[in-house]
Amino acid sequence: MSTPRLSHSAALILKALSLGYCFGFDVMEVTGLPSGTVYPALRRLERDALVESKWESEQDAADGQRPARRYYQVTRAGKAAALAVTERYPLLARLLPEKHS
Amino acid sequence: MSHPLPSPLSLFDRTLLRFVQNLVPASERAEWLRAWQAELWHMHHCGRTRRAGIFRLSIDLSIGLVLDALWLRTDRWRLRFSGTPILCIASLLGLCLFSTLFALVLYAGGHVLGLHLGKQAEHCLFAAPLIIFVSVARASSNHVEPISTGKRIHWLNRQFFFALKTLLVLLLTFLLSVDVSRPGYTLMPNFADLFQILFFVIFTLLGLRWSFHDQQQRCKHCLRSLATPARVGPPSYNLLEWNGTEQICKEGHGLLSVPEMETSWRQSSQWIDHIPGWDRALHPAH
Repeated sequence: MSTPRLSHSAALILKALSLGYCFGFDVMEVTGLPSGTVYPALRRLERDALVESKWESEQDAADGQRPARRYYQVTRAGKAAALAVTERYPLLARLLPEKHS
Repeated sequence: MSHPLPSPLSLFDRTLLRFVQNLVPASERAEWLRAWQAELWHMHHCGRTRRAGIFRLSIDLSIGLVLDALWLRTDRWRLRFSGTPILCIASLLGLCLFSTLFALVLYAGGHVLGLHLGKQAEHCLFAAPLIIFVSVARASSNHVEPISTGKRIHWLNRQFFFALKTLLVLLLTFLLSVDVSRPGYTLMPNFADLFQILFFVIFTLLGLRWSFHDQQQRCKHCLRSLATPARVGPPSYNLLEWNGTEQICKEGHGLLSVPEMETSWRQSSQWIDHIPGWDRALHPAH
């Protein structure tokens, strides 16, 4: 299957997710993109099966005294796409730092 | 399912969520609300966010949540209306409206345009029957075999849709020819009328060709555009066995089989009604 061609912003978001930034607000902060770009792009990436989302468990959220978040993670197809966009836009790898949790 | 937050959101956030949630399709509303309540809560309670930036960030997230809701709504519309006859007719009507507005601008007012359209319409009314005759004669050579075409109501629906679509195509091509030939009235006034008729003939031939082709590429029951074209048979065996393209209706009403070339055993496209078992494959919940 050929990898889909992604826009610069979608590529940046996918790269951020593949580096471990896993929820919308986090992606917004690290990429510097406005939320009006990030959230619809996350929906599109999920629709194209490049990322998948799951809810944080209520128990973990309650332990942290915060509401549960919706986490995004890159699928196998998404990893291939992230690799392809890094080759296509080499600057991406330097723009985003790896997340240290 | 309600998910109480550790501390409530601000009045502005709650009001915004209450209003914007109406844009989200009902089936996705609860999850959307939960996700955005969490995002907004984290924005207000995130230690990394400096107080000075909170206002700017709050505005940015507000725009984000509105656009997110709009995306979900438009995506739902896309899934619902994509390929439907309603979308086709609405698009043609939109193009006609756009052409009319453009003509109003070009001719600097409704009165001048009205007089001009009246004169040009007379010319085009003479040309139109001839073009329609040529298009119908051309299209009849690649018709769909009328086997198992279903109920009479479906046949009536198809004819009504085709007539309406063709009428709108004729109107659109007429308006486009008027728009395109406008510069001719200042550059070559003696030939401008002739150019307008020529443009009308060319546009109408193309438009009617599309209209016939589009009609063939639609489901014979629900009139949705057929999807997932698949090649069948090796083209190199052209004279030995059938080869061509197959397309199916997304709703599972049937399959259109279009031969690559006319042969003695398959001269025209064939519509195959409702293959048993498709209901289960396409609508597993039913």
